[in-house]
Amino acid sequence: MNRLFLGWMILVLLLWCGPALAQDTVCVQCHGGLDGRLGAPVGQWEKSIHAANGISCHDCHGGDPSDFAMAMSPERGFIGVPGYEEVPAFCGRCHLGVREDYEKSAHGEALANGGPNCVICHGNHEVVKASIDLINEQDCTRCHDYERAAEVKGVIAETEAKLQSLDLSVASLHRVGIDVERLSGELFSTRNQFRRLFHTVNVEKLQQQRSAFDSDLAEIGAQVGEIENQLSQRKLIGGIIVVLLVLAGCVALLIRQTYHSEEEAGE
Amino acid sequence: MKIKKMAIDWLDSRLGVSELLHQQLGGYKLPRNINTWYALGAVIMALFGLQFLTGILLLIYYVPDTEKAFASVTMIMNEVPFGWLFRYLHVVCSNLIIVALLLHMMSVMFMGSYKRPRELTWISGFTLLNMGLVFCLTGYLLPWSQLSFWATTVATDAAGAVPVVGEYLVSFLRGGPSVGAATLGRFFALHVLVLPLALMGLVGFHLFCVRRNGISQAPFGKHYRPVEPSDTFTHEEHHDGIPFYPNYTSKELGVIFFALAILVLITFYAPWLFIPLDALVPADPFVTPDHIKPEWYFLWAYQTLKIFPSEFLGLAVQGAAMTFLALLPFVDRGPERRPGKRPLFLTCYLLGILLFVGISLWGHYS
Amino acid sequence: MSQATGKGKERRTFLGVLLGGFSVALGAALGWPVFKFLAPRAGADEAQQVKIPRDQVAIGGAHFFNFQGRPAVILQPEAGNFVALSAVCTHLGCIVKWENDKGEFLCPCHGGQFSASGQVLGGPPPKPLDTYPVAVVDQDIMVG
Ligand code: HEM
Ligand code: FES
Repeated sequence: MNRLFLGWMILVLLLWCGPALAQDTVCVQCHGGLDGRLGAPVGQWEKSIHAANGISCHDCHGGDPSDFAMAMSPERGFIGVPGYEEVPAFCGRCHLGVREDYEKSAHGEALANGGPNCVICHGNHEVVKASIDLINEQDCTRCHDYERAAEVKGVIAETEAKLQSLDLSVASLHRVGIDVERLSGELFSTRNQFRRLFHTVNVEKLQQQRSAFDSDLAEIGAQVGEIENQLSQRKLIGGIIVVLLVLAGCVALLIRQTYHSEEEAGE
Repeated sequence: MKIKKMAIDWLDSRLGVSELLHQQLGGYKLPRNINTWYALGAVIMALFGLQFLTGILLLIYYVPDTEKAFASVTMIMNEVPFGWLFRYLHVVCSNLIIVALLLHMMSVMFMGSYKRPRELTWISGFTLLNMGLVFCLTGYLLPWSQLSFWATTVATDAAGAVPVVGEYLVSFLRGGPSVGAATLGRFFALHVLVLPLALMGLVGFHLFCVRRNGISQAPFGKHYRPVEPSDTFTHEEHHDGIPFYPNYTSKELGVIFFALAILVLITFYAPWLFIPLDALVPADPFVTPDHIKPEWYFLWAYQTLKIFPSEFLGLAVQGAAMTFLALLPFVDRGPERRPGKRPLFLTCYLLGILLFVGISLWGHYS
Repeated sequence: MSQATGKGKERRTFLGVLLGGFSVALGAALGWPVFKFLAPRAGADEAQQVKIPRDQVAIGGAHFFNFQGRPAVILQPEAGNFVALSAVCTHLGCIVKWENDKGEFLCPCHGGQFSASGQVLGGPPPKPLDTYPVAVVDQDIMVG
């Protein structure tokens, strides 16, 4: 549990400090100037969620990002390009849970026989924030018919939508100064668990376990709702005070008026 | 009632209180054509009063330590009952005070009230405006957010453009080569002790000047009579004027209530106007956020620094503009106060306001 | 003229009372939050129960800790037997000292003496030290 907590803390931190962390490494400096296969990844990566969170070339490919000469030396941990079947292990160094469930899934078990690895669905260098739209007829039918995929999508759609809307609510609470550290932590870990479960692509399993996630999310939703309630109550009271102040101002000016008419009369 | 009368009589027979009260309240006569703009000084005092109250309350839970400041503010906002209210009131009120100060300055300027014999009133007032700005600048650092940290870094860095001593000046302001614990310490002391004391003293002097000279007539309407300039001290009397109390204080009270209504409205409905996203992230000395911008009242300065080819030039222009404003009564010496009869002044006045607004907007959108 | 003034006066009194009413309401709207802001809150340091690792309390020794916001002390007069007491002297509120050699408490302020069970042995204290319930759970002692 504590590990998990630490994990998301680091992630949240990374999310916050992100943009400036992905510094100009020697990898980017050199490859940025190259053409074609060797240069393209730089531009793609720049648009990725990895870049936005400060995950740079060497975080996946290893090597030394500060030394031109030794940048791609295996001595400095350079890994280079993983083979097709090595990709799940490659990505799974960070995305541990997802890897585990993926490996036990129909997708994972078929890997050796040309089953899909991570990048088939997510892309590689230009990987963007995962969304339910990754499951679509066009992409899934590259390998099999859409029927079963649609079924899976149907099962997770509602929970995914709830995750999305809670994300937005929590962000807007944060915007008005509410301390959402705990809430967004809970949300983050729930999403992780759910996304991980999704990678089993097993309709029965998803159906069985969905309700646990739904009740977790309902719990978080209730907390969010309570805070939102408080906020609108505040607004109501604030509104009453504004009205009182305006009325008091008007009365004071009316009093001023009574003196003013005396001044006029006395002229 | 009887007890009250006895108490007053007792004090009166010893200190002559009722005479004093009469002198300062009912017997203190204001010009008949006094207008709403003259209430702004009272509005500023009311807002500062509230600012002192909310500031003292925040001080109870705030911790001036780089490791703890942000967390203590988060706690005030989320755990202390009504902490959010007092924090937001403090933030919003600081902005309203700047608005009120600018309006007060612009109104006395428009009416030519800074002219002889009120030069000292003007200079003390202009100093108060600058103190208001320094109040905001020092207060801005205290929550130790990304915004605090980097806004202070940029603001203090500007002093580096001063020739010769610039670099030393920057580190003197910061108490070290970069913004850190030493900066927080000195800004905190300035914000909660030095500035409030100095402000109270200077407001006292300002009011003394105002009272000693008498309130100026508003230079409008057919009843306006220019005052003959005199070489000796004269209090501007208004024998047929209206009593300060209760005739004009009722007006001031009304205007104060309206100002408070605006304050509460923003506090409850749009406090985020003055709390950008970077203010919600704890300070990180190693990560500069994108697009860091100063508060709206410093945008003009920020943009002038960017317009000029060298920082020094920008700073010099700013200094010249501020000095010009400070010394306005000594530059613009003609006795005429009616705006209609001062076309040159009026043109400069309007252009000046346009320039200020224009440069600020430019700074905002650039 | 005098009639008009009379009417004006009445009107002004009415408005004055109205304004007074608004001011009182607004004053309360400010005063209540100020009061709540300053009122003491049940904080985290006032947890109902306090857990103390057993090995912190030596046999025959004393361990001082914070219980519900006040200083308290726990003793182990004989192995496995724990006593928790308030450490606030019942005379004028100083914190009592544990005298290891005597097995007694001495209050440094006016010389009040208490036994290891909190009974007054001498000096000005009017009543014994408060005692708190203690339970041993595995390697920890739960007070409260
Ligand atoms: C803390 C800040 C300030 C306070 C509390 C304050 C307060 C006051 C008050 C109560 C008055 C009397 C009536 C009126 O409001 O016109 C006054 C007058 C005046 N103030 Fe200020 N003021 C402040 C800042 C300023 C500033 C920034 C300026 C200009 C740069 C200024 C210039 C003047 C002048 C020239 C008068 C004389 C007006 C007249 O007699 O017609 N004051 N001030
Ligand atoms: S306070 Fe302990 S003896 Fe007086």
